[in-house]
Amino acid sequence: MEKKFEIKDLITVGVFSALYFVVMFAVACFGFIPILMVFTPLLCPLVAGIPLMLYFSKIKHFGMITITGTLIGIIMFVIGHPYPILLFCIGAGLLTEVILKMGNYQSIKHCVAGSAVFSLWFLGMVIAFFFSFREAYFASIVDGYGQEYVEAMKSYTPTWVFFAMIIMCLVGGTIGGLLGAKVLKKHFRKAGMA
Amino acid sequence: MEFGVCSDKSKAFIRLDPRSKLLLLMAISIIMIGGTTVGIEGVLRIICAAIPCLLLLSIRQYKAATIYLLLLGTALFCEKQVAPYTHGMCNIILMMICGLITRFVAGYMMGWYTVKSTSVSEFITAMEHMHCPSFISIPISVMFRYFPTLSEEYKSINDAKRMRELGHPLKQPLTYVEYILVPLMMSTVRIADELSAASLSKGLSAGGKRTHICEIGIGPIDIVAIIGSITMFVLFLVY
Repeated sequence: MEKKFEIKDLITVGVFSALYFVVMFAVACFGFIPILMVFTPLLCPLVAGIPLMLYFSKIKHFGMITITGTLIGIIMFVIGHPYPILLFCIGAGLLTEVILKMGNYQSIKHCVAGSAVFSLWFLGMVIAFFFSFREAYFASIVDGYGQEYVEAMKSYTPTWVFFAMIIMCLVGGTIGGLLGAKVLKKHFRKAGMA
Repeated sequence: MEFGVCSDKSKAFIRLDPRSKLLLLMAISIIMIGGTTVGIEGVLRIICAAIPCLLLLSIRQYKAATIYLLLLGTALFCEKQVAPYTHGMCNIILMMICGLITRFVAGYMMGWYTVKSTSVSEFITAMEHMHCPSFISIPISVMFRYFPTLSEEYKSINDAKRMRELGHPLKQPLTYVEYILVPLMMSTVRIADELSAASLSKGLSAGGKRTHICEIGIGPIDIVAIIGSITMFVLFLVY
């Protein structure tokens, strides 16, 4: 357990971040349909929680999940999301790190909690719809997407939805974590891969 | 990314440094996704849409460039000419699809160009020149090296699954997710092990300063690209 941080760990980080990112992105694509967009914070962590749990089972050192968070933040930022996403991603990564550390990177309960907390980075992606970003964001998309789309989006996202989304992230992450634990038990423990 | 040490020089008309590619990518994504279509931002959008096309042509990806232009052209045409005549749900769906294409396809193509035209080795060298710590640069390069592998694996798994007529994505979504994800996760674990064995034999974990065979450097074209993207950023933020 107390071995040094190695290149091997960095490669694990890279590969699993890629898998997590792709799964997340695939599910998030449903979010472009206005009404489903409100539920992406529930759906994405739910599916992405499965590979995330396998990743957690591979983590042995402090810092790996923070790097994953940072990477996702950087990629999201480079492909054009506003800057708060960086703060959300790094913050969620750090918090998850602490939770996993408390379980000594072995406890399944802590992993499930970690999966719930890590999915909070998703809020950074939807924050453009809320608070001080709201008006500017909708003004900027009005001639790209059309007035009717903007009106539809506006009616789906009053401020209270943001807090509902926090809960959706946590619930989605928890269910995803539990599903992941089940999948690990069913498929990976036997093969000695987790 | 190419697996060779350096990307093939003879194939490309324009050779950009990975750093200026990243800067351009960022400028294009931010302007295309965040910008409006009127006034100075409209002009910026046209420039941003043209850059990936030129760069794709410069690495002789004629097919990709044509597809890109066709997609963008169709989406713009629908947005301006067809959409105003529709109403309600139809308008929302049409505007959404067109909006998505016009916003994301330029950034996507630029990203594709960046990945296609940069070798892993060049990328790591560039990151080192930027004083990026190895705990960021190594996972990022592994990630981008892994994306194409992931899609290959997905295709094979999907074929194998369909051959046995298991888990239709719409009829049995849960089975579908399980039958795709579990094999993907298995191969991910295996590939992670293989890559770390490879890195061991390349002496990545040996420590000490690493040297590089491939040459990267800021040339005249890079200076144009960097100044261009900074100007676009400034114009975009001011107006």
